[in-house]
Amino acid sequence: MFNFKRPRHKLHISDENDLRLSDLKPGEKGRITEIGGSENFRHRLIEMGLTRDAEICVDKYAPLRDPMELIVKGYHLSLRGMDAEKIAVERIV
Amino acid sequence: MNFNIAVAGNPNCGKTTIFNALTGAKQRVGNWPGVTVEKKSGHYNQSDHKFDVIDLPGTYSLAAFSAEETVVRQYLENDEADVVVNIIDASNLERNLFLTTQLIELGKPLVLVLNMMDMANEKGLQIDVDTLATLLGAPVVPVVGRTGEGIDLLKEKILRVSTEISMKARLIDICYPRDLEIEIDKLHQLIQVNDVTDKHSRWTSIKLLESDKQTRDEVRLHSNGTDILDQAKISVGRIEGLFKDTGRAIISSARYGFIQGAMRECVVESLVDSVDYSRQIDRVLTNRWLGLPIFGLFMWLMFKLTYDIGSIPMDWIDRGLVALMNFISDLLPDSMFASLLVDGVIGGVGAIAVFLPNIFILFLIIAVLEDSGYMARVAFIMDRVMHNIGLHGKAFIPMIMGFGCNVPAIMGTRILESRRDRILTVLINPFMSCSARLPVYVLVAGAFFPENAATVIFSMYILGIVAAIGSGKLFSRTILKGMSKPFVLELPPYQRPTLRSLVLHTWERGYLFIQKMGTVILVGSVIIWVLGYFPTEVELDRDYGSERTTLTLEYDSQFIALESKFKKSVDQDRSGYHSEMIVYESSSSYLELLEQYQLLKKELSSEKNQQLSSLRQQEIGDITEQKWIGRVGKIFEPIVRPLGFTWRESVALITGFVAKEIVVSTYGVLFGVGEDVDEGSQGVISGLRSSGMTPLVALSFLVFTLLYTPCLATVAAIRRETGTWAYTLFSIAYSLGLAYSLAFAVSYFGRMFNWLS
Ligand SMILES: Nc1nc2c(ncn2[C@@H]2O[C@H](COP(=O)(O)OP(=O)(O)OP(=O)(O)O)[C@@H](O)[C@H]2O)c(=O)[nH]1
Ligand SMILES: [Mg+2]
Repeated sequence: MFNFKRPRHKLHISDENDLRLSDLKPGEKGRITEIGGSENFRHRLIEMGLTRDAEICVDKYAPLRDPMELIVKGYHLSLRGMDAEKIAVERIV
Repeated sequence: MNFNIAVAGNPNCGKTTIFNALTGAKQRVGNWPGVTVEKKSGHYNQSDHKFDVIDLPGTYSLAAFSAEETVVRQYLENDEADVVVNIIDASNLERNLFLTTQLIELGKPLVLVLNMMDMANEKGLQIDVDTLATLLGAPVVPVVGRTGEGIDLLKEKILRVSTEISMKARLIDICYPRDLEIEIDKLHQLIQVNDVTDKHSRWTSIKLLESDKQTRDEVRLHSNGTDILDQAKISVGRIEGLFKDTGRAIISSARYGFIQGAMRECVVESLVDSVDYSRQIDRVLTNRWLGLPIFGLFMWLMFKLTYDIGSIPMDWIDRGLVALMNFISDLLPDSMFASLLVDGVIGGVGAIAVFLPNIFILFLIIAVLEDSGYMARVAFIMDRVMHNIGLHGKAFIPMIMGFGCNVPAIMGTRILESRRDRILTVLINPFMSCSARLPVYVLVAGAFFPENAATVIFSMYILGIVAAIGSGKLFSRTILKGMSKPFVLELPPYQRPTLRSLVLHTWERGYLFIQKMGTVILVGSVIIWVLGYFPTEVELDRDYGSERTTLTLEYDSQFIALESKFKKSVDQDRSGYHSEMIVYESSSSYLELLEQYQLLKKELSSEKNQQLSSLRQQEIGDITEQKWIGRVGKIFEPIVRPLGFTWRESVALITGFVAKEIVVSTYGVLFGVGEDVDEGSQGVISGLRSSGMTPLVALSFLVFTLLYTPCLATVAAIRRETGTWAYTLFSIAYSLGLAYSLAFAVSYFGRMFNWLS
């Protein structure tokens, strides 16, 4: 959904269906399978509860399309699309 | 005895609220993460013991990721704190417990506080407090910080943990998966044998597995440090191979694993689905289509209310001041002292005092924005724009606070994580139009744009934002290149602002303003009065006294001529009048003539008054020009002449460098000299109008006032937060340059296209 033309960040483990958090639409839920990006970024997210297997729900996008609002572990968090793109998820239906 | 108590916890979990409840302090709370940026201390006494309490900035972890986290970690790791009070947001338990697991490992005596129990109940969470206490090995106290419920119990628990040995010994270990525990054990034993640090050795072992730089550096200093680091390297290699991730990520995930286990045992979520009001509100306020218009509307309302409601009590204060001035001038003979009191002190400080209502209303509205939680949404909405200049949405929070005052706003830039972000935000903050500039706008816009004053003022604010963002873009392309850190921002639930906290915030900030009136502005006004009073004897080129007499005589003869003309036409008319029924004086033709005469007389007398007062203004202008203040202004006049400014504006702008309100005081003194006191602020307005300033020049003056360096206090704050004079001087030079260029552009293009002339 974000920046289709730019090559995506390479994540540690390649995911077969390669679905990213940024691909989810408002109201959709996912389970985190992997977080890429810099060490600091990964660690910060993990410390805020975005661990592997954590459930995450996309609540909405901001008026200017970026950032997005997420619900994780019962609280609301906002993240930019370019960062959400570094988080691989599997969709939960 | 004396005990040091440290209050730690996640951002926005209510640490400062509890700190205030414990110590009776009045530190700032606000419903967005990052309100407290500096550790603050206070104290209370209980059972002959003194408790020194430190309120720490909020952190999600002790990993030393940001400047604030480093501060907190250093404070907690060093031996200063006797007891750590960990505030936990009960409505957001899982994430808050992450920090708790680290605090447990740190090995300090711990009291856990479940704050926001009201919110947790609303959410339908039932927390088994006793089981949680057993699992975590520390006393757990449920409280509602806002109402003070449970604070007494908390004090008692703090007392017991501080004084009773048995309470301290109950610390438990967080259990990790078996493979991790094996490696932790190895390091643990090695550290214990060598007695490397005085810290809890399990904490050190875990930090080594996380490859924590600070811990490694400390261990390296020790004689057997290299052995331990070698073992750490092997252990880290092993777990990283096993779990396919970095040590730190593995440990963090394991902590959440432990927390999930604890949550299963202690928390029951009631099946009744509670309504998430916050989410409902956000459906509208951060809606894709409505979000931005609503934000704009709020900003507009903020200034509209400030201006409109503020003008009501403004009149009262104005009248009160006029009465006071009259009272004093009646009481005291015409002397230097009377002039100092009336023109200098009351004229100068009073010119600002009338704006107190505006400023209090503005602070009240900012307090509502902060306490309700909307501030965090502003960061959310504006992130895209801020991203453009390589900044966080969070950087917009200090910008809005800048509408109140730039000094705390510049300090508030500490919520940003990288130094580059902080410096960039500091540099653009002075363009946010602070409340001290408001009096200038209200005065000048009121004088020259009485119909559209609110709009003109609002556009000043918009211009400030545009200048800030434009400059930010320029800086981020040139002197401060780089990208901001990832944007990770918590959006706390909306809260109804409490009356107490609103009153407190508004009063606290407003009081600072009153204090400023009693100090900087008072001194400034007196200095300006001195400059405007001396030398007492001035030589004027024109003899105003005789000019006034001539003018009066001239009009007197005109009045006489008018009267005789009227009499003549009446006589003429009477001779042609033949009616026995009505006396001539009641006839319609006479009444018509009379009406005509009276009209002409009124016109003439208003013309006379106008002439006289304009002569008076010219005289005042001529006199002040000869005074010291005028001479100073004359020196700088050539510099500002291209902008259409006179020596008056140059004096006002120079004095405004100390504090922007003084611009108004200066005008108060400039147009107050020898003026009839009963005019109050109206005198300044009419003085401005008759000084030859055109609406165009007024606009260019407003632009200059908006953009140049706000005040000395801001300069000091910039110096403090950037840490160098280089950025400070740059900021001054840049803002002067920008102010000059834009004010010049306004007057240049204005003249070219004949606007507002
Ligand atoms: N409903 C409810 N709100 C609370 C309670 N305690 C604090 N608050 C509110 O929570 C918000 C945050 O409070 P603060 O005391 O500023 O939090 P803090 O932990 O100091 O925040 P930072 O300094 O930003 O880290 C404020 O709006 C408080 O009014 C509580 O027990 N119940
Ligand atoms: Mg605080």
